[in-house]
Amino acid sequence: MTAAELKSRYGNLVLNLSAALEAGDEAAFTVHLNSIVRDRDDGMWTQLRKLTTDLGSALERFQLDSRLVDLAEKEVPDARHRLDHVLKMTDEAAHKTMDLVEQSGPLADRISSDAEQLSELWQQFRNRQISPEDFRQLLDKMQVFLDDVRASSEALRKNLAEVLMTQGYQDLSGQIIRGVIKLVDEVESTLGQLVCLATDPSSKAENADKYRESRGHGPAVPGVDHGNVVNGQQDIDALLSGLGI
Amino acid sequence: MSKDLRFLVVDDFSTMRRIIKNLLHDLGYQNVAEADDGNTALPLLQVGNIDFLITDWNMPGMPGLELLKAVRADPKLAKMPVLMLTAEAKREQIVEAAQAGVNGYVIKPFTAVTLKEKLDKILETRAAAK
Repeated sequence: MTAAELKSRYGNLVLNLSAALEAGDEAAFTVHLNSIVRDRDDGMWTQLRKLTTDLGSALERFQLDSRLVDLAEKEVPDARHRLDHVLKMTDEAAHKTMDLVEQSGPLADRISSDAEQLSELWQQFRNRQISPEDFRQLLDKMQVFLDDVRASSEALRKNLAEVLMTQGYQDLSGQIIRGVIKLVDEVESTLGQLVCLATDPSSKAENADKYRESRGHGPAVPGVDHGNVVNGQQDIDALLSGLGI
Repeated sequence: MSKDLRFLVVDDFSTMRRIIKNLLHDLGYQNVAEADDGNTALPLLQVGNIDFLITDWNMPGMPGLELLKAVRADPKLAKMPVLMLTAEAKREQIVEAAQAGVNGYVIKPFTAVTLKEKLDKILETRAAAK
């Protein structure tokens, strides 16, 4: 504050205070003194309000910054690990299911071919064209077949139950993916609060699109816009047939 | 149709390779080799023991479209039948694959019947052209 500002702001107040003091007028002195004190207080309160507001916005920015740091340093790498885990889990479940299917196929094939063989002998028996020797063979084969069918059916039932249990991966992977979707939402909204678009992104986006075009986009996900996509194999067949393929 | 054909199945997911391999076995084709992208597939193709290529599009390393272009650009492989088996569903992509010389295009998820139909169609067309 300059000397002139000081004089203009406090000059009259001090003069009035001095005059009341000289006159020994206690009431007037108190009024003028209070007026000086109030004037000081108003300035202080204005400064204090400004400080409080600044502190508030600094704290808010700090919270936003530290949340972003937290997201970038911890939660995004975590999400990557979680998605890796989903990939591993689905891979294991698919292989386990196919192992069980591959084990079950030959069991069903054997039951079928044994039954076919027995069926021929059985038909001969029903037509009363079977020799005593073949009849003995039929009885032996029937016994072996029944034992085999029982054992193979048990094995097939066990494999089917395991196939069923293996599908549990969908629940687990679904939960993990849901968590990652939530994180992506949070990153999006936190970034949205940081308005800092300084460059024209259109040229970069165009290059990225061209790169993606040659590498492929992955499966079309319902609810996500993938542009002009075909609707199933029939669409593709029609399109290719139009191109002479 | 000869069941002695030698197939190369190219897909980055081992589960999908295994599914295709099993389906080919069920169709009577026992001779099936595997690769996980274009970079590993090309050397196998260049050795010269493959009669039919089935490839995915979206793979790390060399994607299927580039593999197809590389096959068509190699005089020794140029006539190889190529079936693309992929989740890529954009019309422009299918047209691009057709222009690059693909013989068939099957979209994932697919059925065993569709795979058989497309294989048979390609093989019949080639047999008729000979």
